[in-house]
Amino acid sequence: MKQLIINVTKGSTFLHQLNGKTKVMLFITSILAIIMSFDLRIIAPLFIVYILSLISLKPNWKVVLGLLGFILIMQIFNLVLYWLVNPNIGAFYTDGKTTILFHWGSSYLSLQTAFYLAVRLLKMITSFLASLTFVFSITPGELAAGLYGLGMPYKFSTIISLALRYIPDISRDYEAIQVAMQTRGLELDKRRLNPFKRLKESIYILVPLVITSFDRIGNIANAMDLRAFGVQKNRTYYCELEPTRYDHLFRTLAILGFVLSIAWIVARMIVPPTTWMWYPY
Amino acid sequence: MSITFDHFTFRYGSQNEPTLKDIHLTLEKGQKVLILGQSGSGKSTLVHCINGLIPHSIKGDIQGKCWVNEQDTAHTSIFHLSLTVGTVLQDSDAQFVALTVEDDVAFALENQAQPRLEMIPKVLAATQKVGMQDFLTQVPYQLSGGQKQKVALAGVLNEDASILLFDEPLASLDPKSGEHTIELMDSLAHDHTILIVEHRLEEVLHRPIDRVLVMAEGSVIYDGAVEPLLKSDLLFSHGLREPLYITALKQAGVDIQSIPHIEVLNPAVFKAFAPKLKQYILKNPQEKLIPQEVILKVEHVNFSYEVKPVLKDISFEIRSGERIAFVGQNGAGKSTLAKLLCGVIRPDSGKITLNDLNIQTLSISEIAQKIGYVMQNPNHMLVKHMIRDEVALALQLRGFSEDRIDQEVNDALKICGLYTMRNWPTSALSYGQRKRVTVAIVLALKPEILILDEPTAGQDFAHYSEIMDFLDELNLKQRITFIFITHDLHLALEYTDRALVFSEGLLLADQDTAQVLSNPSLLEQASLKQTSLYTLAQVCEVSSEDLIHAFIAHRRSA
Repeated sequence: MKQLIINVTKGSTFLHQLNGKTKVMLFITSILAIIMSFDLRIIAPLFIVYILSLISLKPNWKVVLGLLGFILIMQIFNLVLYWLVNPNIGAFYTDGKTTILFHWGSSYLSLQTAFYLAVRLLKMITSFLASLTFVFSITPGELAAGLYGLGMPYKFSTIISLALRYIPDISRDYEAIQVAMQTRGLELDKRRLNPFKRLKESIYILVPLVITSFDRIGNIANAMDLRAFGVQKNRTYYCELEPTRYDHLFRTLAILGFVLSIAWIVARMIVPPTTWMWYPY
Repeated sequence: MSITFDHFTFRYGSQNEPTLKDIHLTLEKGQKVLILGQSGSGKSTLVHCINGLIPHSIKGDIQGKCWVNEQDTAHTSIFHLSLTVGTVLQDSDAQFVALTVEDDVAFALENQAQPRLEMIPKVLAATQKVGMQDFLTQVPYQLSGGQKQKVALAGVLNEDASILLFDEPLASLDPKSGEHTIELMDSLAHDHTILIVEHRLEEVLHRPIDRVLVMAEGSVIYDGAVEPLLKSDLLFSHGLREPLYITALKQAGVDIQSIPHIEVLNPAVFKAFAPKLKQYILKNPQEKLIPQEVILKVEHVNFSYEVKPVLKDISFEIRSGERIAFVGQNGAGKSTLAKLLCGVIRPDSGKITLNDLNIQTLSISEIAQKIGYVMQNPNHMLVKHMIRDEVALALQLRGFSEDRIDQEVNDALKICGLYTMRNWPTSALSYGQRKRVTVAIVLALKPEILILDEPTAGQDFAHYSEIMDFLDELNLKQRITFIFITHDLHLALEYTDRALVFSEGLLLADQDTAQVLSNPSLLEQASLKQTSLYTLAQVCEVSSEDLIHAFIAHRRSA
């Protein structure tokens, strides 16, 4: 099996031991707050919290740093584009203030734009760290349980965990089919084929893959029927730990954060853009 | 009374003929019943009538009644039936719906919305019963076939389950795990009614059975103890395989009717047949193979995935026209070796030469014209609508001329007996016919060596014999060399001359198949087990190798 980043079994750290519903709530609130806010006084503490959380989860740093590097490069590229489109974008949020830092020929960088872009970068990195913390701390079973706990019908959350269950099997089928097609003379080397031909030839892998997957679905459906899936309106989850006082504490925080974020979304419609970003100078 | 069928007839909605015809029988509580029958005899359908998949999930026409624990299945939901009837499906991999062992075992309890604190002891108890309590947090792809099956069993072993149904439990297991499964079922027999649907009689008889039902064409044609069945010719006339030792004794001229308790190979009784067996061995001398030229040479091959070594210093030779078995546990490196031979992956070091040509210098598709690979699951190889197009594809991809393609496709189809079906859609074919199509696909390239991965997996004796006799004929008439990757003892015994035993990446033995099958410690390492011929030879104090050779010689001369 190829390395997946998701954990199938629960880890032993504090965050791992939280209840699935709590983790989902914290994640939703954090992402909402980070996306809605341009206030460094909110983003910077969250950034630190998530760095610490990630460290506490003892993740595979090779994977984390690899992903982080990729995201960083993409975001910097994104910011350069922002700046090229409007070199004075910072002024929009700071009531027209423009303090030129330096010139390059006709283009320039202002202090306000630099500040704006820095906040933006931190926002993106923080939301990425929050997602990573979420993915590393939760198991697919807890995710299903958490979503169910927040009101999603359990048939949907079961579909999600079934999909995760079958990814390795399907990738094994894919490999087998690929081998079969290669020995029949199908050229799978990307460099030797034009995109149109590649698309055409991918049919040869897709058809058997779909057929074998349908075989599986028939079997799973029977297996689930025989274990009374879908009989009751509600269900429980073996992997969902009983909430502790920490869960209650974090859930309260999550609800509070959620309400404040929504309030801010509403407020933003009324107040001028100059108040959207906190600007100390 | 546990299960009663009262003049029960069932027809699938999509079919014209009923699959079960006027079944009338009662199975007592606490019995251990074996249901024998060929594919399509209705034995799996019977099981689905008991667990309620019929009529609740699979629709069709029912006449008569089926009662399970005094409940009419037509008016009892699958849910209610599932509380007392546990079913272990044939494909235990597909039955695994959760991501860890404990979650999967808890699945039925979750669906009943039981509180977590009540589930924990139940999950532990169920996994302890099947011996999987140390694997609670394992994921399905870390488990062997036998372990997955145990998890599936634990998942249906809730405290009220009084009936356990096993649908072909041995089909996807290696012989050693199969033996464990039979023993496990036996240990559950004291407080459960157990129904086993299987066609591998010899393996099931490893532990006693109370009653056997033989099904054919939707009817129960035999219902009784094992012994009279073994002494009748019903097994033979319905395409079922009898235990090997009985076949051997019959061939040796022993009057099997006079053997008391023939279902148990009791030394005190069976050692009396030693003189007859000795004559049998003398009358059926081993066919001597004339050694042909070496066509494939593997020298000091090493291969590893990332850093994990999968094959270590493998060397062997294959001569033209040989029939070879690659045996060993899952993960021993057999499939990796097959991929190396096909050039799909390349060795880290060492050399593979084919007719004095280093295959390192050839592309995958060039190698495929010399070494063909037939996958275990034919669905992995079928992409076209029509049989003819399927066989032509590899030739078209190589850019051959239309005339040449026509010629070679027709040749391959004729050899495989598919020519008259050339314009059929592949979806209309049976499993055995699909297997033939995949062989035709590979044969169209005129390879000298064919590698087949578990060619008979999941096949009953009749279909198994059909496939294997067909391959054997190819070996004789087309002089094609065969490599079988297999767990199937019967296949290795009857259809191969030489066996290569793999374990943890090492080639443990490269010997005459009869020799391997007579070496218990080697078999143990390969997750195989002795056949009953070996046991019979031990009891009668004759050489097991000689007996196996005589058995094969007798079959080949017939």
